[in-house]
Amino acid sequence: MSVIRAFRSEVLKFRRWSLLVGAGVMVVVSTFLAYLTFHQIASGVTNPEMTDLLVSFHTSQGLISIIGQARALIVAIALILVTANLAAEWTQGTLRNLLVREPRRLRWLAGKMLALVLFVLLSMLLTLLISSTFILILAQGQGIHTAAWTSPEGLRIGLSFLGNEVLCLIGFSTLGMLIAVLTRSVVAAVGISLAYILVFEGIIGVVAPQVTHWFPGRVFNTIVGATVPIVGPTPTQGYLAALGAALLWMVGFVVVSAVVFRRQDVNA
Amino acid sequence: MSHSPDQFPTSQAAPTASSAPDSAKGAFAIETHGLSKHFGKRTAVDGLTISVPAGTIAGFVGPNGAGKTTTIRLLLGLVRPDAGSGAILGHALTEPERYLPRVGALIEAPAFYPSLSGRTNLEVLARLGGYPTSRVSELLEVVDLSNRARDRVGMYSLGMKQRLGVAMALLPDPELLMLDEPANGLDPLGIIGIRDLLRRLVAQGKTILLSSHLLGELEQVTDWLIMLNQGKALFCGPARDLLAQHVEVVVEAEDAVQLDLVERRISEIGYAVTREDHALRIACPASFAEELNRQAREAGAPDLTIRVQEASLEHLFLALVKGDRS
Repeated sequence: MSVIRAFRSEVLKFRRWSLLVGAGVMVVVSTFLAYLTFHQIASGVTNPEMTDLLVSFHTSQGLISIIGQARALIVAIALILVTANLAAEWTQGTLRNLLVREPRRLRWLAGKMLALVLFVLLSMLLTLLISSTFILILAQGQGIHTAAWTSPEGLRIGLSFLGNEVLCLIGFSTLGMLIAVLTRSVVAAVGISLAYILVFEGIIGVVAPQVTHWFPGRVFNTIVGATVPIVGPTPTQGYLAALGAALLWMVGFVVVSAVVFRRQDVNA
Repeated sequence: MSHSPDQFPTSQAAPTASSAPDSAKGAFAIETHGLSKHFGKRTAVDGLTISVPAGTIAGFVGPNGAGKTTTIRLLLGLVRPDAGSGAILGHALTEPERYLPRVGALIEAPAFYPSLSGRTNLEVLARLGGYPTSRVSELLEVVDLSNRARDRVGMYSLGMKQRLGVAMALLPDPELLMLDEPANGLDPLGIIGIRDLLRRLVAQGKTILLSSHLLGELEQVTDWLIMLNQGKALFCGPARDLLAQHVEVVVEAEDAVQLDLVERRISEIGYAVTREDHALRIACPASFAEELNRQAREAGAPDLTIRVQEASLEHLFLALVKGDRS
């Protein structure tokens, strides 16, 4: 019951412009990136880097290949939204008000994270829906044959992509939660999150690529790449192993966050 | 006989029934025993033993960094004590979920979501605590913010935020209110409004722990007093008792040399003394006036006028803090 109260309380905060702007940027920029990709392919660009895209364009993976080009942006915005939103409770000092009204900290955290993850997932769903509708309309307008995209196989790939993307964003949300709980500051939390994903895993990936296959950012992305290889890294360890690793990371992040948050002094 | 200021009765002293009716029944809204909190090497709260009888307004005073806010955070379960124990409304500090539904709090500067309206900010907490939305409207009326309820909190003045903070503290219709500087940023009318509100709340049987630097304001409303310095309780008991026991002795003389002599003597004894043009103000027990007169004559300062007047809370506070530091 108190988790539901925390969830409902958090939903009220969705009216904040920072969240709405984040979701808006996700929708607009992702759609724009999808449009750019589509436009390049439709206009007959033969860039060698686009070979895979060109190959999959007319297959059942075509639509997902195009709208999936904005995945990195969706993941980055989702991570920032979750991390900044949670860390802001410390930075703004609002956490003390909340924990006085709901002293069972883990229930509050569960309710808040449920709401945040739901917001992030709805933003992603809206983004995919708008960008895929936009691309379909554009394709039909230019007389491009899209039957394969909307075929049963195309829909199966779409749903599979969606399911794995949901898992991926939940994984990144749990990572954001842990970083926010540990840093207790918006600037530090967002900075560390992005530095970890964009720089740290990248550098290690160059030095010791076999190790990074098991790193959280990598496995969260890998499970999406298993469905449509062109939108994420291919799981060299196999999909099930990658999925297992992703779930283990999620559980680990949740457990550590819960243990730390439960005992943490709230001085903000 | 000298009476050092730091020998005022502290928290261990039993509260008197005359000043706090409920204390006679042992009904303390707040009790702590040897509560301690360290942040690294810094001791914020040091073996604090205090009590607040139910149904009183307890003034909570101390200089900056005395440990008032940390104590309030300890009482609210926001920080964990390193040692000691306590009870709020009869429940152990270790079980904040048992007592916090009956406690309202305003801690330090009120914190809100600046891009949300005042009403929505209250609704966030009302939903979290499971209180009806009608309670939000009611409280916005109480703190006179109904006409600005839909404005973003970021547009509010400090005084308006403070009033919204008071409304936030009142959300659960609490039995115990902990207010940290509620008058901060309020204009005189706002301060009077808060004072009247506090009196109304106490008349309803609520207990209020009121931390404030406005000692004159506290003196008007409190019937229980807790003085804190360097994380320790210097005094905890009925305010009236403290004010009655301790007076301000005013020593006047035209001759500055004689005043110097007296000032030095008083400082040696350990009382807080404030120098004015031709006068010294000393916070001490009334009985000290006679002793002072004798000592002044012996020290070669016979031409003094010594008057005894009731001490203000401000002077007592200075006396206690200076005495503690010496």
